[in-house]
Amino acid sequence: MSDPAAPVSLQVEGLRSGYHGVTVLKGLDFAVGDEIFAVLGANGAGKSTLLATLARLIPLMAGAIRFQGEDVSRLPPYETAGRGVGYVPQEKGTFPDLTVLENLRIGGMIGRRSRDDRMAEVFELFPDLRALQAQPAGTLSGGESRMVACGRALMQDPKVLLLDEPTAGLSPLYVDMFFEKIREIHETRGVAIVLAEQNATKTLQVADRVMVLSLGEAFAVMDAAELTTQQLKEGYRI
Amino acid sequence: MNIDWLDAFLISGLFQVAMVTGLALLLHLQLGLARIANFGVVGFWGIGMYVFGVLYVKVDWPFGDPWQFLASAAIATFVAGVAGLLIGWLISDLNTDGVLVGTLGFATAVQILATTEDDFTGGALGMGGLDFPFDIGRVKDNEFLWLVIMVAVVAAILLYVWRVHRSPYGRLLIAVGGNEPLVRSLGKSTFRAKLWLFVVGSAGMGLLGAMNGVMVHYLDVGNVGVGVTLAAMVGLVLGGTARVWGGVVGVILTVGLFDIVVQSYLPLPEEWYSQAIPVLREAAFGLTLMLVLLFRPLGLLGDMRRDKLMGRIHGR
Repeated sequence: MSDPAAPVSLQVEGLRSGYHGVTVLKGLDFAVGDEIFAVLGANGAGKSTLLATLARLIPLMAGAIRFQGEDVSRLPPYETAGRGVGYVPQEKGTFPDLTVLENLRIGGMIGRRSRDDRMAEVFELFPDLRALQAQPAGTLSGGESRMVACGRALMQDPKVLLLDEPTAGLSPLYVDMFFEKIREIHETRGVAIVLAEQNATKTLQVADRVMVLSLGEAFAVMDAAELTTQQLKEGYRI
Repeated sequence: MNIDWLDAFLISGLFQVAMVTGLALLLHLQLGLARIANFGVVGFWGIGMYVFGVLYVKVDWPFGDPWQFLASAAIATFVAGVAGLLIGWLISDLNTDGVLVGTLGFATAVQILATTEDDFTGGALGMGGLDFPFDIGRVKDNEFLWLVIMVAVVAAILLYVWRVHRSPYGRLLIAVGGNEPLVRSLGKSTFRAKLWLFVVGSAGMGLLGAMNGVMVHYLDVGNVGVGVTLAAMVGLVLGGTARVWGGVVGVILTVGLFDIVVQSYLPLPEEWYSQAIPVLREAAFGLTLMLVLLFRPLGLLGDMRRDKLMGRIHGR
């Protein structure tokens, strides 16, 4: 079991994974520390597969995932979550038959801190959710659903948060708000973030480091500020 | 209490309505909340009925009634729960089709065992000797008291289902039904939640089966056919799988209407009662199922009204 006070450390070594025998990720090596680590890439690059694999929802074909020094490669997803890995999928991130409040409570099933304190922090981060508490999540707009999904993951008190395209399909107003919130979550709560995105411009404004995925391979892993437009274009195969 | 206005047929019909309502309520937790389509209801029900019958009739207990009766009923309920544990474990990672085939196969296996293990079950000839653990006089009085006990058991099941709806466990089941992989990523083992659901549901179904055996006094393999599952399933789907009262309303409108109103008050030809009525019943239930799924898939009571429920809980 990892030390709860230790700094965030997620290490990926030779990671290969995919679906039904088809390899999507073809051997990735990278490490995430106390930072916002962006994963950029075109459609089909393997961003969602990478995050679902890190959340242990997709089995590894080869390689290893170490969290806080512990090998979590073979752990079931719920045990990985119990170690402090929160996950927000791109789609279907809420339970539509449950209300907003119930969705948040489901997220708070694990964790040692008071659930009320965690709930108050989520409402402070996303004040709009307070008025929507009694509404079924299935009736929410896209932006509201993403807030619920994100708040639900934060209720787990994660050390690292895996965000899969949180702004996909949202209006520009929500997109700006979400990127601000991502920075806020990292700075005020000390949560490391792995952010898979297609919106390169906005992502590079908030990320500390970036990995550009290209057809399941790491085209570049570097400081976000150093990534050039040419590298990005080559990574996206434009 | 004067019950002369009740005839034996009506008591038997009301008993069937209450029993199938209990099965539908237990099925509601599996199908309505966790979206597990258990087509093996009759298997667990049959295990409870036969285990009770064999223990009560064939075992030479060192004590008499009511302890002999209670011990047999408790063991039958326990064995049905263990069967639920085994089946729940086997189907926990299967998709909807796998669960359907797996549970249906289990129910078929129970029926075959009841037919072939005739040393224990009496096989195709059946087994008699089951009786009430009390004797308050006339047969009708005993049957009425057993009906009252069955209604009390079903009321307890309703209360349990009601409490599950308002508990964190109920929220977890709804979440499992809505998006199981997401629940796994939230730090909870869905396997354990589903297993517990199957153990409790199967034990309850087994208890209801044992109580049915006592009411009919005679175990017949013809009773452990698909009709029991179909009645619970159709009643639940008609009332609304997602609502607590769905099973209650649906079973009253199907089993109640057919087994009591149609059979008691419609002038049907005498010869129909032996062969045609059971076939007509299954045909009517099957047609009802198709019509509901086509025109009102959420059932008469519709979807969950958790917004109103939560509004009441939080004073909004």
